[in-house]
Amino acid sequence: MNRLEDALRGALRREEPPAGFAGRVLAAAQGRDQQRAVSRWWFFRQSPRLRWAAAFAAVVLLAGGGIEYRHQQRAKAERAKDQLMLALRITGSKLRLVQERIRWIEEAPMER
Amino acid sequence: MRIAIVFLAGMLASASAQEIKMPPGLERLGAKAEESVDVTLDGPLLQFASRVLSDKDPDEARAKKIVAGLKGIYVRSFEFAKEGEYNQAEIDAFRAQLQPPTWSRVAGVKSSRGGENAEVYFKMATGGDIGGLVVIAAEPKELTIVNIVGTIKPEDLADLSGEFGIPKLDFGARRQTSKQTPPPAPPKSKGKEPE
Repeated sequence: MNRLEDALRGALRREEPPAGFAGRVLAAAQGRDQQRAVSRWWFFRQSPRLRWAAAFAAVVLLAGGGIEYRHQQRAKAERAKDQLMLALRITGSKLRLVQERIRWIEEAPMER
Repeated sequence: MRIAIVFLAGMLASASAQEIKMPPGLERLGAKAEESVDVTLDGPLLQFASRVLSDKDPDEARAKKIVAGLKGIYVRSFEFAKEGEYNQAEIDAFRAQLQPPTWSRVAGVKSSRGGENAEVYFKMATGGDIGGLVVIAAEPKELTIVNIVGTIKPEDLADLSGEFGIPKLDFGARRQTSKQTPPPAPPKSKGKEPE
């Protein structure tokens, strides 16, 4: 038992890293990040077709969004216009009602 | 903070644009009515609508001219299956807001037999223009209140009553009158409630 414990203690004992270890690890990690970033854009840089396709897709999306927005605004304005015309027709019909009755009252004594 | 100030300013602008408050009970009448029209067009929406009005269509061209000076149009119209569905006291309370010298009652017809009342109020503005218009038409089975906020030129008012398929209005002889048997109301071209 003591031998096992000694073996474990020996295996798990703290050892100081060699000088410059932390610096090397950080440098390696940074290098890997740069490599990943480079490889991400490498495909676009190397393929003009893909670049054009991406640009075209962006233009189509923007244009589509713009057309849809204008379409919605137009529909909203058309609904507002219908309401406006309805409101003016109702107002006009009520003004006419008053006018006709006043005219009737004015003309009625003359007819009698 | 800025958003709150802008929101508050917007609410105040909207409130001041309408000025005259519609009777609160009107909102409930929609459920009782067979047909109802509820139009609320505030300044920005009104100008937004006027942008799509055609200059080629005579009605729309006239509407565009009328709307140019307006800040808001509010219409509530209800048609009921039976009489007595709306509260006369609410109409009286609404009418009480239209006090001189700001408002003047330019025309009013009343039929004691048919129970039909129609009144037109003007808010006078500078330069002979009309600063606002309110129409109250109360019949036993129908109620219509129109509140137009903003400047209307007298010739535009003539257009309003004279065009849109109806004859011109002459308010030259402004008189208030009451008669027992006025002529029957002209046939209406009632529109559907906008969605």
